[in-house]
Amino acid sequence: MIPRGSDSLGHLAMRIAVDLIPKASDAYAATDMGYFTVLLSLVGQDFDRVADIAVVEHEETLSIFDAAAPHLVDADLKRRIAEAKAKRLPSFKTADLNTRGDIETRLLIEVHEAVEAAVDRGEAWAGALDAQIWRFLDGYASRRAYDAPF
Amino acid sequence: MSTRADELQEGLGRFLSAKQGVTVTVDAPVHIPGGASRETWRFGATAEGFRQGMIVRIDPETSLIDTDREVEYRAYAAAFGAGLPVPEPLFLESDLAWLGRPFSITAEVPGCSASPDGMPPEHRAKIGAQKWTWLGKLAALDPDTLGLEGVMTPTTRETCALEQLEYWAKVIRDDEIHPNPVAEAAVRWLRRNPPPPAQKLSLVHGDYRTGNFLYTPEGDIKAILDWEMAHIGDPLEDLAWSLDPLWCFHSPQLAGQLLPHREAARHWEAGSGMKIDHEAFRWWRVFAAVKGIGIWISSTEDFYRGATKLPILAMAGWLMTDRQERILTDYLSPHSPHIYVDSLT
Repeated sequence: MIPRGSDSLGHLAMRIAVDLIPKASDAYAATDMGYFTVLLSLVGQDFDRVADIAVVEHEETLSIFDAAAPHLVDADLKRRIAEAKAKRLPSFKTADLNTRGDIETRLLIEVHEAVEAAVDRGEAWAGALDAQIWRFLDGYASRRAYDAPF
Repeated sequence: MSTRADELQEGLGRFLSAKQGVTVTVDAPVHIPGGASRETWRFGATAEGFRQGMIVRIDPETSLIDTDREVEYRAYAAAFGAGLPVPEPLFLESDLAWLGRPFSITAEVPGCSASPDGMPPEHRAKIGAQKWTWLGKLAALDPDTLGLEGVMTPTTRETCALEQLEYWAKVIRDDEIHPNPVAEAAVRWLRRNPPPPAQKLSLVHGDYRTGNFLYTPEGDIKAILDWEMAHIGDPLEDLAWSLDPLWCFHSPQLAGQLLPHREAARHWEAGSGMKIDHEAFRWWRVFAAVKGIGIWISSTEDFYRGATKLPILAMAGWLMTDRQERILTDYLSPHSPHIYVDSLT
């Protein structure tokens, strides 16, 4: 198994950049190959971090759900959160991690909307939870940050 | 075996000969890199001893039924007629008999570059001054006099902002591969904090940024390109898009990698004769990042589902979505260091 995707794909990107782009038939082909090198770098970065992101965000999302649960009035949303929490992960393959993450993120969006509505109504509990969700979103954005030269 | 360039050379020669009523010979077209939405080629056409450089933009296979090409072409024509620097529009053709797909042809603007990276450092401020002055002049035009009725959706000063928001919110929902909690939070913020009515309605370019205009080696802007997202709306939409931190991500103090944000705004105000409403501008800045996510999500979706194999769509889509999300959390999160906020004040 490839231990570090970013290293391996980085070697491929370097081979394209150093050896193949100079031999490209025209500017269009050279530009396309330049995009390939960046794409390989992005895929490599995701390869290395995807499981970590999935596990961290699963735990943080469940924590938000637990904090929100006593306050949520939408019974259907509460039921779907309970179902998501009870669902067993079929494997740790990227596709399964992503599927679970997508389900939980969609529920998080609904929870956030409900919390914002409570903030607007001046409900005392909601401000802290809104701040917790924004901390999650800050992390969500920074965890997905790509290292790219431009 | 016939190449794509051979096919285009033959088809363009037939098309131009038919349109001009004389025999037109066409040089071998050269594929221009970077165009993500249209297949773009440069070629020369010669008739009766006169040669003209031209640019043909061909619809991608995935958008044969949309009408963007007419919007773009008519926007080119409107801007050209109003004296803005744009390539002269020459032909708009929807008959598939010539190139197999609809296309438009404009005059080539020779001796220019569009590359932000290749821009001479000593000319950046000069180019920036022109960039935002021209954008101000575009904002100052009366859209009712530009011949765009029937091409662009009518709107009002009161409704244009939320109409644009709902359009892009739907794009994000329709095209997303994964749910986007940052974009969704931003859309809700925009809905809960609507801007005041636009000061006026204008022809909005829709993608006005460094990289979408041609400049000479001496630093003179000669042509504003890529009008396919043009529409009628609030001119602050273009200003906010042009000042989006995405276009100066590693040097956020320089708008569009050209000059300080406040100077850009000053040139825009001088060109437009308008004063920036900062409350409205803040809304449009958040909107610009949401719109960006809509664009990038669409391009990754096209690549992910195989509708296109263009690597620029995947690369730009994934990389720019990441950056646009970081911009949005910077704008909206209560824990943000606010690197990008209040760049005009």
